[in-house]
Amino acid sequence: MNSLQQMILALSAFWAERGCVLQQPYDLEVGAGTMHPDTFLRVLGPEPWSVAYVQPSRRPADARYGENPFRLGKHYQLQVILKPSPADVQEQYVRSLEALGIDLKQHDLRFEEDNWEAPTLGAWGLGWQVMLDGMEITQFTYFQQAGGLELDPISAEITYGLERLTMFLGRSRSVYDIAWVPGGVDYGQVRHQDEVEFSRYYFEVADVEFLQSQFDGYEAEAERCLEAELVLPAYECALHCSHLFNVLDARGAVSVTGRVALIARVRRLAVACARDYLASRERLGFPLLPAGEPGAA
Amino acid sequence: MGDRELLLEVRSEEIPAQMAGRGAAELGSRLFEQLMALGLTPSEVETGFTPRRLLVIMRGLPEGQPDRSEQLVGPPVSAGLDEDGRPTRAAEGFALKAGVSTDDLERVETPRGEYLAAQRTVEGRPSAELLADILPDTIRQLSWPKTMRWGAGLGPWVRPVHGVVALLGGEVVPFELFGIRSGRTTRGHAWQAPRPFEVRDAADYRRKLARRGVVVGFERRRERLEKEFRAQAEELGGSLVEDAELLDRLAAVCEVPGVVRGRFGKRFLELPREVLRSSLRDHQSAFPVERNGKLLPGFLTVMDRADDPAGRVRAGNEWVVEARLADARFFWAEDRKSSLAEHARRLDRLTFHVQLGSYADKTARLEKLAVEICEQLGWKRERTAARRAAALLKADLVTEMVKEFTSLQGVMGGVYARADGLPAAVWKAIYDQYLPAAADDAVPRGRVGAATALADRLDTLVGIFGLGLVPSGSKDPFGLRRAAQGVVRIALEAKLELDLDLVAARAVRLYGDRLERSGEEILAALRPFLHDRIRHLLALDGYAYDEIEAALAAGVEHLPDLEARVDALHRVRDRPGFLAVVLAAKRIANIVKDAPEHRLDEGLLKEPAERRLAADGSELRTRTKQAAEAGDYRTCLRLIADFSDSLEAFFTEVLVMDENRELRHNRLALLQSIQRTLSRTARLTEMVVDKAEYRRRQREGNDQE
Repeated sequence: MNSLQQMILALSAFWAERGCVLQQPYDLEVGAGTMHPDTFLRVLGPEPWSVAYVQPSRRPADARYGENPFRLGKHYQLQVILKPSPADVQEQYVRSLEALGIDLKQHDLRFEEDNWEAPTLGAWGLGWQVMLDGMEITQFTYFQQAGGLELDPISAEITYGLERLTMFLGRSRSVYDIAWVPGGVDYGQVRHQDEVEFSRYYFEVADVEFLQSQFDGYEAEAERCLEAELVLPAYECALHCSHLFNVLDARGAVSVTGRVALIARVRRLAVACARDYLASRERLGFPLLPAGEPGAA
Repeated sequence: MGDRELLLEVRSEEIPAQMAGRGAAELGSRLFEQLMALGLTPSEVETGFTPRRLLVIMRGLPEGQPDRSEQLVGPPVSAGLDEDGRPTRAAEGFALKAGVSTDDLERVETPRGEYLAAQRTVEGRPSAELLADILPDTIRQLSWPKTMRWGAGLGPWVRPVHGVVALLGGEVVPFELFGIRSGRTTRGHAWQAPRPFEVRDAADYRRKLARRGVVVGFERRRERLEKEFRAQAEELGGSLVEDAELLDRLAAVCEVPGVVRGRFGKRFLELPREVLRSSLRDHQSAFPVERNGKLLPGFLTVMDRADDPAGRVRAGNEWVVEARLADARFFWAEDRKSSLAEHARRLDRLTFHVQLGSYADKTARLEKLAVEICEQLGWKRERTAARRAAALLKADLVTEMVKEFTSLQGVMGGVYARADGLPAAVWKAIYDQYLPAAADDAVPRGRVGAATALADRLDTLVGIFGLGLVPSGSKDPFGLRRAAQGVVRIALEAKLELDLDLVAARAVRLYGDRLERSGEEILAALRPFLHDRIRHLLALDGYAYDEIEAALAAGVEHLPDLEARVDALHRVRDRPGFLAVVLAAKRIANIVKDAPEHRLDEGLLKEPAERRLAADGSELRTRTKQAAEAGDYRTCLRLIADFSDSLEAFFTEVLVMDENRELRHNRLALLQSIQRTLSRTARLTEMVVDKAEYRRRQREGNDQE
């Protein structure tokens, strides 16, 4: 199994069979699958939730003009959330690797400590980077806090790095060489121009003043939405701010002190959204709670 | 002592490597303490761990607590017995409560009077029952640096728990932990041998796990890996590049210890050794292999399995290592397109501290400060090299390689300077600038290295202190303690006769108007901060607290001088007479405490003992001055110790506080002069004297006479 789309199909099928909602990518620029509202907001509160989706994730600072064989300004994550984390979640994950054709009788799979923290989201968790024969292929995290709120129940987050996994299994020397379609179109053909243009945009062309005014504008808009009790639109505005911050940072337009201040502004929005989302679900009677559970409508 | 054996295994998801070892040790010692408090002391405690299990085995546990008798005190006799000596209601109630008949009550004397009391036998509880009580709480309460919850609010513990084996003498000790019942069932490696199996006792447990390749003892795993690493290094045609820390790390991350041997392309050998080593070590946790001081194109690391039947583990690791090295080679080639001096020109874009300016600003200060240090030390020939090294010191911070391998900062600058063909003194100074980083690190090689490393640290210390950001408690975001420790270690170990106050004052001036505090304020805060590091380091060298305090209190000109004085105190303090002089010095300090300076008039000295003290004191002054100027503090202190007789005779025969004002003032003047002489090497009043020890010595001294 060494094309990107086989990987996506196999993992999607695997997790769909295990009762996950097969969601689609969020239609905004985000830095990681964690920022998709179906992760960041759904892990809050008592409602059970299982979901899997691919999320294109933008890291402007990692863009390399399409010249570095490993680094990308945008990569694809396959994100799984299991809430509450099942007792056998590690075992399920191991089975998912077998579904990709990885025979663990022949490989070395290790879980190395790698705790996760997202200051802009007021979120952290404990977990591991999963190493297959010395290569990091997955981030595995038990979320402990999101939007500054303690979580209960706890969600397990499994994030597969799709390019890395495909590269590794196909022993490719460059990410641009991996097959997107088995025996057909490759990753470079699909994405190279995108990497080149966005690298130039992030590092050379992006207009700092425009980005800054956008940031201010989306921040104000988020506040207005929160006042109008529209938490999902407010959260979208917060995501815009987060991405704008990343672009400003890549553009070299953020000083050390400015950085701290901008992170604090995004975090404040994320925390407010988390709080209001939880309240909105409570008002709805936590619709996903099984009937009879305390708190259920 | 008993003959029961306790086997306790807690199986969980992967515990971070450095935590699992500490967790197992803590579990063992906490259990031991609790069992001891309950009268169930085991004769032997053994602990072990893998990433997925903590193990405690205790041997020689008794079957249970012995029965013991206990005295219960009831009502006072006055209330418990009526006039005829018959038990009252109160006594009957007490007897009932104590479970004895009123006939068995006895009278006991207490500080509050005579009371009725009952003796009662308390049956000891069986060990199994006690363990069922204490095991779950002890496991829950282990002190992890960070804990988590999982599932529907389970925990907190370090990672999710999956199974507990608890056997006492082969019988299950029943309890529940995080929703899991203890039992006798465990598993091998989580996905290589996941089928559950039962164990009878510790020997059976060990045997069955060994059959599945699991080695629970950390030491055994490390030994086995080390042996295997060495053997495999030989097969690659070289030997292991020693790295005890890496070996510890690797032995902690597997439970089925296996070695992966891989190769990489020879083309990567053109990379400097430092880069290859960092890439292998920091990114891949792998050992390089060397022959005759040159690295070979191979590496060794661990896998959590016994074998690699299809070679896939090796192939995977080789792929990752080559990808990493290709990255490193790319950075090396990119960085080498410019000289280090050219990189240094970009330091103006890198902020050192918002208020303290960029790294270009820092570099400009360092050039001057490094030269200043050379000048103060009289190192004329090193000035040019020191300025060049300082100018390039921070240049590697803007290189691609250091952005990728931050642990190579400094070292990388040195490597690039070497590749640029700069003189050895210059590149070595850049290479060593962050030394000493850890306690067992050496200090920078050579004078240029010492001067630049000192300049760098003092510039940082003065700058941050100058903003009033003095470290407090555990908060030390700029690593100032380590910087100060570096300053002290370099000055001591390179024996630099450097007045740090002068250098710091110059560093303050070089900041111009950037600082918020005055030079005096900065020095007043920095001095005690450095003194704390001095205390710490000298105490590590085995010097006593009072020796260090006494020497510090006499003032610090430069650190080698201070150390010589501390060392002299340490060696001379046991000399006969020294303690007597210390006591006399304390006495003098008390007498002259509030007195103004008086002038000594030799003509007024009339008692023989005071004339002798004045004469001996004057000779002592001359001779200690000579010795101190020659740096011979031991002689200085020996002379002072030998002065005890004159002092003792004076205090026995002369009354300082004479009624005659003139005589009184003259004697105070004499003591003030003696005090100055005695304080030349150290403020003796800081020395702690154990009075009992002093008297014992005196007696011994008398016996010898």
